[in-house]
Amino acid sequence: MSLAEFDELRWDHSCDRLDVPSNYLKRKARKTPGGLEELRKSMTSATIYVGNLSFYTSEEQLYELFSKCGSIEKIIMGLDRFKFTPCGFCFIIYQTPQEALAALKYLSKTKLDDREITIDLDPGFEEGRQFGRGKNGGQVSDELRFEFDASRGGFYVPLENRIGAVNHFGARRIRDPHKNHHHHHHGHHHHHGQPHAAAAKVNPMEVEEELDSYIPGQ
Amino acid sequence: MSGMKRRYDYEEEDGYRDFRPRYSKRQRLPPVVQLCKDMLPDIRTIGESVKAFEEDIKFLSEAIINEFGNDEYFNNALLSTFNALILEQPHKQPAIALLTIVVNSGNPAAGKSVINYFYEKLQHLLDMTVVDDFEVTSNETGPWNKIKLTLRFLSLLSPVITLTELTNVYQRLFELAVQLNRSSDANTRNPLSEAIYTNTLLNIPYLFFFNKEDETLRTNVEDLIQYAESNYEVKTVDLSLTKEYNKNLPYEPVQWVQIVLSNVKNALANDMEELKNLFPDYQNLLPTSIEQQMFNDPLTIPEFEKLLPFSGLDKGLGSVDSMWKTPRTAFQVYLPNVVGDFSTVVPITTYTGMLFDDIIVDIVESLEFNRHEVARQVVTLDLYFKPGIFTEPGLSIAQLLVQHNEMPELSTYKIEDLAIENILGLIFKLPTVTQSFAYFYTLLVEICQNSPKAIAPVFGRAFRLFYNNLDNMDHELKMRYLDWFSIQMSNFNFSWKWNEWEQDSIAFSKSFYNPKITFAKNLIRKELRLTSNRPDVEDSLTPEFKQYLDASYISKDQLASYYQSFFEGFSFDPEVIKDNDLLFKNEVFPFHEKVQLILDYIHKQPLEKNISELESLLEDIKSAHGDKIPDFNRFTVTLLIQALVYSGNRSLSHANKYISDAKSDLVTILEKMEVPPEVKEQWIIEAVIRYWNCNSQNGFLIVDSFKHSELVTAKSILTFSLTDLNGQNLGLVDATSIESTFRTLTELALQQASDISVFEFVFERLLEIINDTVSQLGTNEEIVAPSVDNETMLDVDELARLDLIWKYESAVGFIKSILRKYSDEYSVLLDKFSAGLEQAVPHEPTRKQLDQWFNEIREL
Repeated sequence: MSLAEFDELRWDHSCDRLDVPSNYLKRKARKTPGGLEELRKSMTSATIYVGNLSFYTSEEQLYELFSKCGSIEKIIMGLDRFKFTPCGFCFIIYQTPQEALAALKYLSKTKLDDREITIDLDPGFEEGRQFGRGKNGGQVSDELRFEFDASRGGFYVPLENRIGAVNHFGARRIRDPHKNHHHHHHGHHHHHGQPHAAAAKVNPMEVEEELDSYIPGQ
Repeated sequence: MSGMKRRYDYEEEDGYRDFRPRYSKRQRLPPVVQLCKDMLPDIRTIGESVKAFEEDIKFLSEAIINEFGNDEYFNNALLSTFNALILEQPHKQPAIALLTIVVNSGNPAAGKSVINYFYEKLQHLLDMTVVDDFEVTSNETGPWNKIKLTLRFLSLLSPVITLTELTNVYQRLFELAVQLNRSSDANTRNPLSEAIYTNTLLNIPYLFFFNKEDETLRTNVEDLIQYAESNYEVKTVDLSLTKEYNKNLPYEPVQWVQIVLSNVKNALANDMEELKNLFPDYQNLLPTSIEQQMFNDPLTIPEFEKLLPFSGLDKGLGSVDSMWKTPRTAFQVYLPNVVGDFSTVVPITTYTGMLFDDIIVDIVESLEFNRHEVARQVVTLDLYFKPGIFTEPGLSIAQLLVQHNEMPELSTYKIEDLAIENILGLIFKLPTVTQSFAYFYTLLVEICQNSPKAIAPVFGRAFRLFYNNLDNMDHELKMRYLDWFSIQMSNFNFSWKWNEWEQDSIAFSKSFYNPKITFAKNLIRKELRLTSNRPDVEDSLTPEFKQYLDASYISKDQLASYYQSFFEGFSFDPEVIKDNDLLFKNEVFPFHEKVQLILDYIHKQPLEKNISELESLLEDIKSAHGDKIPDFNRFTVTLLIQALVYSGNRSLSHANKYISDAKSDLVTILEKMEVPPEVKEQWIIEAVIRYWNCNSQNGFLIVDSFKHSELVTAKSILTFSLTDLNGQNLGLVDATSIESTFRTLTELALQQASDISVFEFVFERLLEIINDTVSQLGTNEEIVAPSVDNETMLDVDELARLDLIWKYESAVGFIKSILRKYSDEYSVLLDKFSAGLEQAVPHEPTRKQLDQWFNEIREL
């Protein structure tokens, strides 16, 4: 289905705009009847969807970051529909559509809790949408995830499925990954961050002093 | 067709199997659209590869010569692309101009179309300057700024435009600037006239870009400059309200309007030596035959009378235009002679420096919709100018020092420094910022992410300059600095070399108002609010700074005496006070079972609630324990509010829900108390903030919910925030409280009929704090905090005296910020304030300062 103005090639800017619906939204709109209307609504709803959050990120943290783009009317945390715990996404409703577009332009792909957050437009919140749609209550994306992600509930795919019933050789290589990971984190308090974060981190004090050599993350 | 087969047919290595045309299933684009899709992106990125530049010009010009005029779609798409580049990426203007000149010689009709397209744009923009309902989007820089950029482009085309046509536009703009400037008296600036005068002068050197030897042009330009110099009187207006530092400015502020003429004259002097070192030499790419073009119609400049009402540039014309509302000054971060006996940024007192500043600001403002592109463009600007202006990109200061020692003739200017200084200038812009802060913060984060090793030290030097000048920095800017710093840290694992600042902490940690200690405390707390993984922040701190990890709003002792103050003849062990917990349900309180029942009541569904149940529970507590609770009303309010906040302690949404569910019950109970409403509201606010003593940000946000439920007023919140507790005023120093104050005032200011009395109240409250502090200091002299060496150990008395001075400066700085930020509201109150000033402020130096600000508000 054609998405009218959203499909139009435009030459009025010297580069792309970031405050447009994502390809994911456009694909979805193409497949759904009324998709174009939904897309148009998402430009004016003042609502954004925020994804790839850590399960541990709180509403207050979101407030601290997202209030820099405008006045927040409401934050709706995405919850696991069985456990009622955060499952890694939220909706943020601003007072004006411009503020929502600003958040999309300025904050998508920035880091919160050491994770690159994703932001997309949203046609507007409706009751029920705060719940994960995966079969286990969380987000579908987590159920497709193969890797370990400490801040999103660890492994999703159970061990036997990950190593496969046939490929026994795989089991030897990643033997007992749970245990392994536990070791890795032992010295790092109750580290919830991504596993690589802990490894990449070097105490800045140990870097050799130079008059003006602030190098982040080093 | 199975997926397997398809893959087989199209296997890349198997070229010979590629008999099937690679049409996708999607509909094919019309050829002209496909042409645009292939060609226009190359124009957008022109010059980004210096090596390919010559070839690009050749190929693109050939294509345009052949295609232009054949299809309306192509013509429009091409001209739109040119226009977008000219307005959004002005550094690429010379490349587009070169392309146009080459096209013009091969296809004069196309050349004429391009030239007159922009000439018509110029006319259209001029018409827009007097439109009442001019539509402003966030990437709109304003018609006058676009006039500047369009004229700049036309100036580049000087070899192919009849000369008098061009210089005539300049002459008429200068005349307009002069006329506007003369419309006000000698001490009053006309913002628009300054913008036109500066913008137009700044464009002049571009006339010579491809045309350095033209004698007639030289003479005409001399006349233009002569006209501007002798007719335009530059007015000196110095506004202290918009200064970034309150005293001891680290640099002398320079206004653009004061230096632009000499910058341009110097650039043209000595046979245009500066220009020859600035602009790249495209002479060899110019066509041999030149076709001169004329403009289609005469230019109509808006009538002076019509323009005058718009000349304050305060009607929302766009981001860059509105920057002229107050004197446009150069913001400086990388001061000369700090790292070595040289400068790392091109001085604003040269044409080169000013032009770079101008271009960077234009890119940042007009491309705000794509920060990734901005991040890329601003640090590669040097590609569009003569090599050698800047030092090698990414060169560290240490390397630069070595290079400067060995080869002092080489440039020490760093493009990174220049780009970041300008973005910081936009973050620290007073009285208002042009975009939301988030844009600038994440733009800087992005620039740093692209090349952390090169950029992070540049940030480091800025952090240090601001930190070292915290004692003098404007109150509002301290908050912006804090915000930027914390965002940067949270994007980069919170790593910062805290040991650099340890000595300050050792010397002043006992102080309450010291700006550096306040900053460190607020920064650490903000970092903690940005992460859910506390150890990330903890581990980044050195032991000296770990003492600030305790984010308590008031001290444990103060909190204990707050709770103890409800009781007489009953005391409890302060150890039972826990963070984020309802104290009164603790077993040490004889009424704890009733409190549990109150919690159960709060958790009931709204339809199941009957207020009489709640009232009887409270009555039970009163009859059994009222003798220990002297002010039972105060206790009731505190208990109910804290029980609500406790019930909703999982998140802000939970808190909101419980507050709105309980609203009618609360109103009923509060109404029955014979206590003035403002007293009850103080109890409510205090109950919330004390409950969330471990996280005052939550506390203040929940207080906002109570305000939105109309249970407390804005004035009550401000009263609470600015009240001293044992001589300590957290409203002056704690970031969560300061943010709450600004949030509350801004929300009021945005309301249609804003309640001026609240603004009056805040001003008067701050005056009380100032008067009180002055009398404690017991002086009639001007009060200026001395710069204190952090190596000396201060005795208790000396530190107390210093703390009072810092308190005084904080309060005065706060007044400066609110007068400036809410100047519309305060200007209504000015007559009243001025009349009562003598009485209200006994301290003469303070009075003089306030009086000066009152006068300046009228300029904002």
